[in-house]
This record gives sequence, C-alpha cells and structure tokens, in this order.
Amino acid sequence: MIVAFVAAISFALIHLAPGDPFSAAMDNPSVSDAVRENLRVQYGFDRPLPEQFARYISQLARGELGWSFSHNRPVRDVLAHAVPNTLLLMSIALIASFALGILVAVVQVTRRGSTTDGVLSGLSLLFLSMPDFWLAILALLTFTYWLPVFPVGGAVDPVMHEYMGLGGRILDRLKHLVLPALTLTLLAAATVARHQRAALLDVLPSDYIRTARLKGLTERAILRRHALRNATLPIISLIGLSFPALLTGAVFIERVFAWPGMGYALVNAIESRDYPLVVGSVIIGSVMVMLGSFLADMLYAWADPRLRAG
Amino acid sequence: MATLRFAALILLAACVGTEGPAPSSSGGTLVISAGATPDVLIPGVTASGLGNQISDLVFDRLAEIGDSLNIVGDRGFTPRLADRWSWSADSLSIAFHVNPRARWHDGQPVRAEDVRFTFESNRDSTMGSSAFALLGNVDSVTAPDSATAVFWFRSRAPQQFYDAVYLMPILPAHIWRDKPVASWRASAEARAPVGSGRYRFVRWTPRSSVELAADTMNYFGAPKLNRVIWSLSSDFNTAVTRFLSGEADFFEALRPENVSAIRNLPQVRIAQTKGLQYSFAQLNLRDPANRARPHPVFGDRELRRALTMAVDRGAIVRSVYDTLAFPALGPTTRMYTTTDPNLPQIPFDLARARATLDSLGWRDADGDGTRERNGRPLKFAVTVPGSSTARVRMAVLIQEQLRQAGVKVDVEQTDFRVFLDKMRRRAFDVVISGLQTQPSPGSVRQSWGTAGSRARDGSNYGSYESPVFDAYIDSALAAFDVPARRALFTKAYRTIIEDAPAIWLAEPIPTLGYHSRLQVAGMRPDAWWAHIGEWSIPEDKRIPRDNLPAAAPFSPAPSPADTAGRKAP
Repeated sequence: MIVAFVAAISFALIHLAPGDPFSAAMDNPSVSDAVRENLRVQYGFDRPLPEQFARYISQLARGELGWSFSHNRPVRDVLAHAVPNTLLLMSIALIASFALGILVAVVQVTRRGSTTDGVLSGLSLLFLSMPDFWLAILALLTFTYWLPVFPVGGAVDPVMHEYMGLGGRILDRLKHLVLPALTLTLLAAATVARHQRAALLDVLPSDYIRTARLKGLTERAILRRHALRNATLPIISLIGLSFPALLTGAVFIERVFAWPGMGYALVNAIESRDYPLVVGSVIIGSVMVMLGSFLADMLYAWADPRLRAG
Repeated sequence: MATLRFAALILLAACVGTEGPAPSSSGGTLVISAGATPDVLIPGVTASGLGNQISDLVFDRLAEIGDSLNIVGDRGFTPRLADRWSWSADSLSIAFHVNPRARWHDGQPVRAEDVRFTFESNRDSTMGSSAFALLGNVDSVTAPDSATAVFWFRSRAPQQFYDAVYLMPILPAHIWRDKPVASWRASAEARAPVGSGRYRFVRWTPRSSVELAADTMNYFGAPKLNRVIWSLSSDFNTAVTRFLSGEADFFEALRPENVSAIRNLPQVRIAQTKGLQYSFAQLNLRDPANRARPHPVFGDRELRRALTMAVDRGAIVRSVYDTLAFPALGPTTRMYTTTDPNLPQIPFDLARARATLDSLGWRDADGDGTRERNGRPLKFAVTVPGSSTARVRMAVLIQEQLRQAGVKVDVEQTDFRVFLDKMRRRAFDVVISGLQTQPSPGSVRQSWGTAGSRARDGSNYGSYESPVFDAYIDSALAAFDVPARRALFTKAYRTIIEDAPAIWLAEPIPTLGYHSRLQVAGMRPDAWWAHIGEWSIPEDKRIPRDNLPAAAPFSPAPSPADTAGRKAP
C-alpha cells in the first residue's frame, strides 16, 4: 500500500516537472522537434498521464521497473548495481556512527563538565549543524588535494582496478570507501552522541544506579552494565529514524564523491528526467526505509525484556 | 601584480601547449577528467559534447580539417579514410577513394557503401543527426564501386568539401543496416561502438569511466598513447579535484579560480586554444504571450540599443572570467578569418542610455527607481540556467547595471532542462545563452537568420528577422573570394550589432589543464582532442598506470538476444 502510494506521488511529481527524457537527454538544438516527437510516441510519452501511470503500475505489478533512458538499460539492472553500493555505504556509516556516537557520549558523561566534555559537545554540535554536501566537499579537498591520501571519487580506480589482483582490488575498494563513509559517519555520529549523552544523563540519577553504587560497584562498571544498557533503548529507536536521514545524506555524499550508489543515480536521473529510474529509485528507497524501521523494531523488542515478556 | 603574474603564466602555458611531440616510443595512458557523462557514442546520434569527443576518436571522417579551420575548398584538409579525391569538371561532384587498408575494428574492410549508408542515415530525420540541417547542398552519394564514393551537390559553394567530410564521420553499414535508424539510440551498439579510428572502444562503466585502446593495426598508423580513459563524474568540483590531485592528466574546462590554484602546482600546465563559443543575453523580440505581436519592450529597436548602451560588457567579462574571455563581438568569434576583430560596437554610455530611455517616454514618474510608460514599468525577467555559475554571475551584474538606468530586472534561475524548454517554446523575455559554433561561420544562419526564426524547430529563439542581415550572410557564404567574403560577413555583423537583438557578452578562451608529463602535440580549436593520436608520454615520465597490459581484443556488443527481456519498452 505504502509502495503504491510512493509510486503514485513520485510518478506525478516527476511528470509535473518541465521537460521529459528526450528534451533532457538531447539538449542539442540541432535535434529537431520531429525527432523528439517520434521518440515520445515510440516510448508512449504522448499518451495521457493516467494511461501512462496505469501502464507503469501494471508493469510494476509484474516486477518490472521499466527502462532507464539515461543508462539505456533496464532500471532493474541500474539499481542492481547501485543499491549494493548505497547499502554498503549506509551500513558502514550506521555501524560506525553508532559506535562512535556511543563512545563519545560515554566519554562525555564520565567527564561531565570537563574541557573534554565541552570540546566534544561543541564538535558534535558543529557536525550536526554542518550541511552534508559542505562537509563532503571539505573532506574531498582536505584528503585528496591538500593532503592527497585518498582517491577523489568513484567506487574503484577507473584506470587500474581492472588490472589489479584480488588483494589490490579489495584494497582499492576500501580506499575509495573511506571518505564517503567517514563523512556520512561523522554526520550521523553527532546525532547519536547527543541523544546518547542525554539518555545516559537521564538514567544516571535512577534508583537502580544508586543501588549499584551502594553495592560498591565502580563507576565504570555501573556505566557499562547498568546505565548504558538502559540508555541504549532510545538509541535503538534512533536507528529506525536514522535510515531516511542516512539515505538522504547518501544522496548528497554520493554526488560529491561520485559514489555509484542509488543517490548518485537518482540525482542524475532527476536532472535527465529519466522518469522510470526516478520512480524506481524512490520505490526502492522507501522499501529500504521501511525495512530499516522494521529492523529497528525487532532490535528494540530484543533489547527490551518488557516487550519480550509481552 | 596578480594579474600580471597570471598573464605571464598564461603566456608560458600557451607556449608549452603548442610544443611539438618529443621523440618517444608508444605507450602511456591519458586519463581525462570529465564533469559530465556521455549519452551514446555514435556520431550524429550523440547529442552530448563528451559523446562527440569519444566518438571522434573511434570514428574517422573521409578527410580531416586543418588547424586553421579553413573551410573554403579542400586545401585545408588532409586525407583520412579517403586517401585521395577528385573534383568533377563542373565542381558539382567529388569522388573520394577509400583507403584500401582501412578496416573497421571488427576486422571488416571499410567500403564506399559505408559512406553512402552514412549519408543516407544522416538524412533520415528519425536519426536526429546534428548534420541533418546542414547537408542541404548535398544531393546524394553514390558508390559506383567498393572503393569510390561520389558526393553530388546541388550547387557550387565555397564549403562544398567541408559539407561532405566534416559533418559526417563514417559509420559501418554492416553493423547498422538492419536496425531501424530510430532505434539506434537505445541499441547496445550505441554504447559499444565499432569504428575505424586510431582508438577502439574497450569498455564503458556507467557513471565511472569510458576506456579506449590504441588500434595498433590502424591503416593510419598506431597512435602514440596506448589508452585514453575518461574518468566520469557529474560534479564539477569532483572532476576538477580529480585533475588537480593527479588522478587525471587532463581537464578541459578550467575556471579562473582553478587557474589560480594551478599556480602552486608545478606539475600542471595550462593551454589555451582559440574559441568557437560566445555568450549573449538574447532578447525575445516577439511577445511570449502572443507571438504574432512584437514584444512590448524589446520590439522597439531604440530601446534595445539603449539597454545595450547601459551595460558595461567589458566590466562584466573581467568580473566573471578575469582574463579568460574577451568581450563578444557579435554572433561570431575571433577564430574565424571572416571576422573583423575591430567590429564597431554600441558603446557603454550610461548617460546616453538614460537620455534615450527618457526620449522614448520611459520615465521614473513615481520615483521608485523604475521607469514607466503608460503605466507599464520597464521591467523584465532574465532567465538563466542555475547550473552555469558564469551565466548566473553575468545575469546578476546585468541586473545591477540596468538598475542604474532605471530598469528593473528579475533574475530567474532555472534547472537547465527548464531553461531549454523555455527557449524552445520561446516563453521568455531575456535568456543568457551561449553557442558553440562550428568551423563554418554559416551556422549563424540557423541561430540568427529569418529561417531559424520561422521554422517550427528553428534555433533563432529570439525571433530576430532582418532581410538585410540574411542577404549579407547568404552572399558571404556564396563568395569564393576571401576578402569579399570577409567584407560581406562584416556588413552582416554590423547590421545585427546595430539592431541589438542581443547584448553580446563574452567570448570565453577555452582554458585546458594537463599534466606536465604529457607531450601535447597541438590542439585544434574546434576539437582539442583531434590530435590525441600524436600526444605522448616520454618513457622517463611514465607512472604505473602508463604501463598497463595490452587491452583485451575486440568483442562485439551484446546482441539483442543476449539482452532478451531487457529491451526498451
């Protein structure tokens, strides 16, 4: 139901934008209107919008996402290449950002009021307020131009990758992954750190923490065994909420780093009015967000004994 | 001081850019960073600049134009697929002899039938070829034998030879003959082309790279570089950083801010070529709401001249391009030998512009800073594609300069596709536009002539119509005598400059960057890549990517059967 709704909205919105795949891909004034018109007829873009939508939905029901005009390939094939790249980037960013965010929060809580706490708070606020594309460009310039330690963009070296051995190829992929993953991680970690710090501060005055202290446990043990476990629940909820944010962030970051993922494909498809690829990407994106939320619910149920008990 | 240093750098770079090839054995990989992606790789079908670049290296023309871009007769041309040619006594036909050693990259011989087939395809309107509108003087092409292709012309013209060879790289008939022309764009072969050029297609990884390898058995001789690879990205910053960081050897569109960064990079050189581009603020002379009527503001020639007078074009060009552009002369560039670089212009004179507007009845009666006449304020929108930083800056500067003359300008930034759509529908007041012209100055007929204004899909979007201008252009294009040709073009340009259907803005100087290890053997103004086959990298300057193993042998594009169930709807 949600997927059908998303398909309808995205289909309508992209068709409302001026231009079509043929005015977009063929921006050469010497290509005549007659040629464009022929192509529109050939691909059915001369038909009324409801008819085009009905055809698209029936195609979708058969599992076909259509034909990408900008890639000259089925949308299914384009996304089959792009989605794994985006999932890889998002998964690494998700895991790394939660690990980093929780670590930062723990350090802040254990050194409450210290300079370290202040600096980390300032840094997390800075990353939180920084636009994703800006941080991406900054990282790009810093680590590829001023301090050239990482490659500029893409998922692999466009020249050498095909000629590398297995080990070289893996290393090449990892090197290309570092900057986009790092950027996405820093942005997401800032949110996690602030939430986790607030959650820990909420938990620390609780009775069971006081009891643990009275039992003679060290602050470190209290934090690890009691406070952190209970303060993790709101963070698990954040995983579900992070999925759409990460996906949106990935759109900008993939564009800057030319990372061949779904966001990169989507932005290019919008620019070239590649309707089927736009709608296909939005549908797959919404499915990913739904699965992410479902995963977060499962984790929440696993982590909270009260929910397991029924 | 900074400007002087910059000018010295440009001079030095220009000298380096034209140096001859150093003796070197073949080898090396040229990586070109591109801030765009190609659509398809078939000449005529591709509508993208990058598609043209790549297909130009994979496909050959019958003859190649020289660096001077002389289009009169055949003296400026050198043999390529045709090893010789002969003119008929009445000059109404040219017989080209196809080089018997020429082979397609799949091993098939190139035949005269391929030439005939290419012409017929380009004349098929469903192909969407950019040559379609320009081949009007070629009546037909015949192939009396497998080695001879004869072009038959409707009339004698100075650029007959150019029309025959420049506009159409030759396609392999055996690959395309059985496919409807309208389906070429979506075919697998359009993304894995088979040509006869000195480079053959190896692979295209979408949104990542396109790789060509030297055709070592080429009839014209193997090129010096083993590989040419375009590293693709959609973002300008990414593309330029890839070049500056050394991941790529070449970048074709440096901006002034990049040039200042390059000053700190001793391993990078700058080259400048003569340009075939110019930009302008095109005024719509017809009312967008009803094209039968003149535009309520720009229909008045004197008002257009006053607006031009109120714009300091020199200041705009300096501000936007620094020293990387000249003020535009008109609908032409300094590259053409037919262009007089001292063409008289409407001068910048704010006081006179104000006086003219006053005399036309446009006065600021209510003191709000904007002139009015009969209750209508003197205001209009300037539409500009948001993707072009230079054009946006020019629009903002025009807005400010016209404000001082009491004219209110709204700058409307749009998506590039929306911009194109507005131009095609002629639904605009003013657009900041640009044109990349061809070696023949005749393309001005489509962009500014009456025919281009009246044709349904003509590209004279501002609807400027002047029988005087048309007549001068037609006479100039028909003139064989070079001084007479230049005099007629000058008269045509003076006519259009005086009529002011546009504010002529900038003539950018193409500024390209390349790694110092690359020996660049010249750049042709219309196509800097034309001589890549002669570029080289000396052995002592090679890096690991220059020593890649030989590319895999030719493998044909997947047949439709291989992509069963994956066809276009």
